[in-house]
This record gives sequence, structure tokens and C-alpha cells, in this order.
Amino acid sequence: MNFAGRRRNTLIMIAVAALACALAPLSATWLDTVILTGVFALISLSCGLSFGQAGILSMAQGGFAAIAAYTTAILATRFGLSAWASLALAMFLPAVLAWGLARMVTRMPELATALATLALATLLEVVARSWDKVTGGFVGIAGIPPVAGFEVAWRFNILVWVFVVLAVMFYENLMNSAHGRALNIVRHDRTRAMADGIAVAPLLSSMLATAGAMAGAGGWLYAHYITYMSPQSLDIHVSITALLMAVVGGAGYILGPVLGTFLLSLLGKFLPAQEAQGLFYGGALIVILVVAPQGILGWIDRLMNRERTRAPQRRAGQDEPRAAAKVAP
Amino acid sequence: MFEYVFRGLLSGTVYALLALPMTLLFTTAATVDFAIGAYALLAAAVATAIAGPLGIAAGLLSAVLASGVMAILFVLLKRTKGEGIRVALASFGLSLAISSIVLIVWGTKPFARQTFTTMLEFGGLRVNPQWLINLAIAGALVGLTWLVIHRTQLGRMMRAAAVNAPGAELAAIPVIGVQCATLLAGGLLGGMAGLLLMHTSGLDFTASLGLTFIGFAAAIIFGIQSPLRCLAGGLAIGVIEALAAGYTTGMVTSMVPSLFMLIVLLSGQLGASRYSGDRP
Repeated sequence: MNFAGRRRNTLIMIAVAALACALAPLSATWLDTVILTGVFALISLSCGLSFGQAGILSMAQGGFAAIAAYTTAILATRFGLSAWASLALAMFLPAVLAWGLARMVTRMPELATALATLALATLLEVVARSWDKVTGGFVGIAGIPPVAGFEVAWRFNILVWVFVVLAVMFYENLMNSAHGRALNIVRHDRTRAMADGIAVAPLLSSMLATAGAMAGAGGWLYAHYITYMSPQSLDIHVSITALLMAVVGGAGYILGPVLGTFLLSLLGKFLPAQEAQGLFYGGALIVILVVAPQGILGWIDRLMNRERTRAPQRRAGQDEPRAAAKVAP
Repeated sequence: MFEYVFRGLLSGTVYALLALPMTLLFTTAATVDFAIGAYALLAAAVATAIAGPLGIAAGLLSAVLASGVMAILFVLLKRTKGEGIRVALASFGLSLAISSIVLIVWGTKPFARQTFTTMLEFGGLRVNPQWLINLAIAGALVGLTWLVIHRTQLGRMMRAAAVNAPGAELAAIPVIGVQCATLLAGGLLGGMAGLLLMHTSGLDFTASLGLTFIGFAAAIIFGIQSPLRCLAGGLAIGVIEALAAGYTTGMVTSMVPSLFMLIVLLSGQLGASRYSGDRP
């Protein structure tokens, strides 16, 4: 019971991932959508960790993913390194950049942080566009080899969802640890956290670095799935989309970003035209912000809380471990 | 050298127009409207669809209507906690939605219109007369905003709401009304900037975020307090961009606004004292 309570999100995620792996290969077009959903879920999870938990509204997560994708693309096409060998570097580089960025932005108010990360993302995009020798400029890098052993789409699908499950497991463990509890205090009251002896800036920086590594894993998967990388592949719109997926699902909840990614990318498939995507995403973000400020999971959580208070006698005593297990704001 | 500075000054006037609503909104409501560029885009798109002066009026009207949507969202979000960042996120959503609408209705074609075919000569410099019109309009609007803020009753209410919102509320100042009026003024100014851009260099459906960016960078370079500083900031960005375009590669030129913004933000111009001791 204790294990199930503390690992509830991971268990749910395993079930969802198993379903995704089992059902998606039935149709080729859906398989493609589900794989990309998994990749986006990773990037969106990193937004959840940075914005929902650490309170850093980072608009550079797509940029971090792009760094990882370019790293693995260059290592694979120029130096013939295997995909698994470049995974480490693909996660390390964005983490280092994110750590450096966070050390500078943690002292800023939220809005300034958002703008600074947005500026960084634009800079990264310009570099990717202009540094012809390394990134291939506008043309990009083609012919990135797929991951050995996962060349077939349905196998790659499993790999993607294993990554997502691992990320969720790590995330949940993190939030159950002392670091996670410290993070909750920082989000609640920063001055109080300082008074409690929490080193706020290093904590937040390491969280953003972790988020950067997570986004990097997403970028690594993306590069090896699409096998082509250009400045438009993981641009600033990807950062914004991932962030709004996290907000729609509930950035403060571990599974919120995954839910948001599922909803938006699967519902997005039913749109009449690709051009309407921005309207759909923007509209969804606005509606969620107005109707359910904590996202869909926050809304569900509130409904369940209301139910619980309505029938206090019947379920008294069972709820405390559950409420503690879910890292709610 | 002189030519670049001159051209930069001329294009900087439009940036000042984009910076103006940023300053106004940040000082009165402590938030950022990312949709300013989208208002400009919408105004330009509507104005190209309808010919003549009617188109200009329709463009401005559509921009103001779009900012009206933002004002409604602002009021709705005002009820929740931590609304500054939520309003910014919602304006992002609005910006995405407006760009998408423009893409659906008008497609990927650029919005541009040339009013003058002959160039004016100024001691060896060839200048499109449109730039002079831009200069006049932008200068007049910045001056007007300064007058409104410092010499009128409305301006005093705006400043009061900016300094101390609860206090202003107690003094019977309709703070939310003032903030919504600021948002609407932002739509008007953004729309105006979009129309001027349409008549000079032109813009397409991808422009909205970039324009917001330039506006914000221009607003914060010299501090976000006053409209006159906006004008200076806009001109500075214009000049630096023109110089970078003249003497360096395209890479540096396209980096200018974001690089500027990053440097200014990192130097702590924007409320850095917030976490230094006071309770958030």
C-alpha cells in the first residue's frame, strides 16, 4: 500500500504507456501520432518540472531539446557515433546550459525569467539557423540513423514510452525526496525557505538542469525518429506548445503535462486544417487559464476533494497518505 | 556610418510605438501583454483586405477589438492568485490564436503596401517619405501619451494605480478600469505600429512574436518607467540593428533584440529587488 501510494503516478503512467504501446501499432498514422505524443510528453514534463514545481516559467525547453537533437545528429552523421553513446552528451549539454541560465534567472521575478528564457530560445534558434558549418543552417542535417534495434516504428514507440515512464518515475521520486519537499516550501514562500536553511538558488538551478536533461532526452528521441533536424524542427513554437500542454493538463501535478500532451495532440489530429492548430492551442490555453487555473488535473482534484468533504465519515482515515502522495500545490 | 544611424532612427520610431504599450501595461498592471505583435499583425492584415482609408480604420478597430478580448481575459484572470504570469500566458495564447486566424484567412502572403514611389533626397540620403510619416506619427503618439500620463486626470489615476493599487482603490480610483483602458490603448498603439510597418517594410503571419519581442526589448533598455524612455529605447534598437546589418553578418542582426533583452534582464533592470528580502 505504501509503495502503491508513493508511486501512484508511476503506476498510472506504466498502465497508460502499456496501452499506448499495445494500441498504437494497429494503425500507421496513429502510431506516428503516439510516438510524437511521447516525445512531446517528455518535453512537456520538463516544463512541468520547471514551471509547476520550481516556478521558473521556462520558454527555452524546446531550445534545450533542439540542442540535444543537434548534438546527437552531429555526432551520428559526422563522427558515426552510436545513438546510445551520444545520449549522455545530448542530456548533459542542455543540462549545463539550463543550470547556467537558472543561476542567472533565479533572482529575477517570474515575468523577467519568462522573457529571459524566451530571449535565450530565440538566440539558440538564430545560432542554429546561421552556423552553417556545424548545424547545416537552413537546410539542416538529414540522414540521422535510427537507434540500433529500434528501427521499426512500433519498437521505437515502446522505447519512447519507456523513456516517459522513467521520467515520470524519476520525477515522482524526486518530489517524494527531501529535494521535492524543499521545492514545495520554496514555491510556497521563498523567504521562509531561506530561513529554513534551503539553498534556494542552487536548488532551483539543479531543478532546471534536470528539466533541461529531460527535454534533452526528448530531443534525442525526436532526432532519431524523424531522422532529420533543421532550425524549424524544434523551434520556439515547440517550447510554447510544450509549456501550454503542461499548463492545460496541470503543471503542478506530475501527470498533468502528460495528460495535456495526450489531449492536445490527439484532439489536434481531428482539426480540419494544420493552420487551425494555433487557434486550437491558444484557445485551449485561454479556456483552461480562465476555467481551471490549476489545469485539468487540478480541476479533477478539486472535484474529488469536494466529494471527500461531503462524505467525511465514510472515508475518514484513508485519505491522508493519498493526499500526501500527490504533490499538490 | 551616418546613413545607417539615420535609417536606424527612422525604423526605430515604429519600435518605440511597440514599446509604448509594454511600458504602460507594465507600470499600471505589472504584467506583460505578449499579444502586442499580434494586434499589429491583425491590423495590417485587415487593412490590406479593405482598400483605402476605410481599411486603416478597420485595421485599427480590429486591433482594438482583439485587445478588448485581452481586457476581458485580464478581468477574468484578475480573480485568481498570481495573475501577472497567468495574464502573460493567456496573452501568449491570444497571440497564437490571432496568428492562426490570420494564417487561415489570409494565408502566408506578406502584408505590404507602397504608398510612395518617389524618394526624397536629403543631402545624399534617399529617404522614402513614408518614413517621415512614421516619424511624425510615432513622435506625436509618444508625446500624446506623455501628456496624458503627466498632465491629465486619467494619467494621474494611471500613475496612482501603478504605484499602489490597493491605495488607489481606496481613493475611489477604478483600478481595473484603468488597467483595461491601458490594454485597449495597447491594442490601438500596436495596431498603429502594424499599419506603419505594413506601409514600410511589410510583415507576414510569423511576425507577431518577433514584434512583441522588439517592443519589449525597446521598453526595458532604458528602464520601463516612462514613454520618453521608450522612444529612446526604440531608436536605440533601430540604430543598433541598422549598424549590425551594415557592418556584421545577418546572424548578429537577427540576434540584436533578444541579445539586448537578455543583457538588460540579466543586469536586473526589471524588479530585481523583489526576492532580496521582501516577502513575495
